[in-house]
Amino acid sequence: MSKGNATKLLGAATLGLMVAALFMVFVYAPAEATQGDVQRIFYFHVPLAWVAFAAFAITAVAGLFYLWLGYPVFDQLAYAAAEAGVVFCTLVLVTGSLWARPIWGTWWTWDSRLTSTFILWLLYVGYLALRAALADGEQGARMGAVFGLVAAADVPVVVVSVRLWRTIHPAVLVTREGSHGLADARMVATLLVSMVAVTAVFGWLLALRVATLRAEARLRGLAAELLALERASEEN
Amino acid sequence: MRAMAAVLLKDVVVELRGPMTTTALATVSLLVLVVLVFAFGPVWGQSEPTAAAGALWVALVVSGTLGGGRVVAVERERRCIDALVLSPLDRGGLFVAKSAAAFVFILVAEGFSLIVALLFFNLAADAALARTAAVLALGAVGFAGLVTLVGAVGGRAKGRDFLVPLLAVPLYVPALIAGVKASADALGGARLGEIALWLKVLLSCDAIFVAAGLLLFEQVVAGSE
Repeated sequence: MSKGNATKLLGAATLGLMVAALFMVFVYAPAEATQGDVQRIFYFHVPLAWVAFAAFAITAVAGLFYLWLGYPVFDQLAYAAAEAGVVFCTLVLVTGSLWARPIWGTWWTWDSRLTSTFILWLLYVGYLALRAALADGEQGARMGAVFGLVAAADVPVVVVSVRLWRTIHPAVLVTREGSHGLADARMVATLLVSMVAVTAVFGWLLALRVATLRAEARLRGLAAELLALERASEEN
Repeated sequence: MRAMAAVLLKDVVVELRGPMTTTALATVSLLVLVVLVFAFGPVWGQSEPTAAAGALWVALVVSGTLGGGRVVAVERERRCIDALVLSPLDRGGLFVAKSAAAFVFILVAEGFSLIVALLFFNLAADAALARTAAVLALGAVGFAGLVTLVGAVGGRAKGRDFLVPLLAVPLYVPALIAGVKASADALGGARLGEIALWLKVLLSCDAIFVAAGLLLFEQVVAGSE
């Protein structure tokens, strides 16, 4: 099976999984006792968060492999994962905010997890800005990998410091522990299916973006070759 | 070691002959402090140590990102980076020398901000202020390393002036949190033992940024030629 067909198959599977997840989230899963229908957003929020964090981990690890081995495919993977990661991380912040408004009574609060996620989002927006500002090719790839690694080393300290900062400050709101207890087995099943569906969306986007970046790199290579041939023929 | 000292000395001598960087950093710090006084002065009231600590860190971050990255940028502008890369100094050593220069410049600007803050916030020139200065200097170590690395990473990009703060400030958040807390407590009279937790966070940030620079500077300046 060619790569293109595999991506198409993944796309079709993703579509099926997403339809199933939507059905389970809105129809199959029972409404939560205290929060009501608002709680359903968590079936997307939690998988989105997991995928966003995984995406940033992929960026860092692929960047490390790129610096080590130098194969462009590692950089293409790192770049594609960062792009998808920023999209998913933005959705995590948006869905969290939508949920927080009715439940906490505010769109935003400097809770430790919110703050850490927001800083993570800023770091990877920075990564994308860096990549956009540098020319395509080897230099952008190397700088991106370096920044991705520094960011990955920084993330644990961000999480620890933000947690210390919030626990020592007076708590504005109750912690979210216990606010999304999944009492019903149907809720757990829904979350799992949604987890797989959102991960599939990510995998599919990643495959598409890596393929595009590979095609772009090949095109640049061919253009350079063509230019060299033209120059050589002019000289003769 | 001698080569490292030579690069650092070169930067200091250039600065002494025409103090461009330190003047710029100090001026930006002064402006930041003035703006903060106008913006928040009316609500400070009883919490002047906290406000002063916060203001000093804002001045450090703003002036440091604007000016600190210049230690690498200035080499690029005059294409001196090529000569430095060709010199017998290894890339880790080059990073240490460059971030030491950034550290010296940031420290001078911080000293100036402390004097200004002393006047603006009616602080006493006592042991508490000395401890705060030590906390700020500890923060400056990591920040100098960070802006040197990030300045080199984003140095050749379009829109460098916008990119360096965008990359540096989010990375610096943990040090900022720890530094502001530690300085506010220190200004309020806490001893070093009482703020040890925050100093540890600050030290870990310093260690991460310096280690990242030592390990990765090679990758960043490779291909500068």
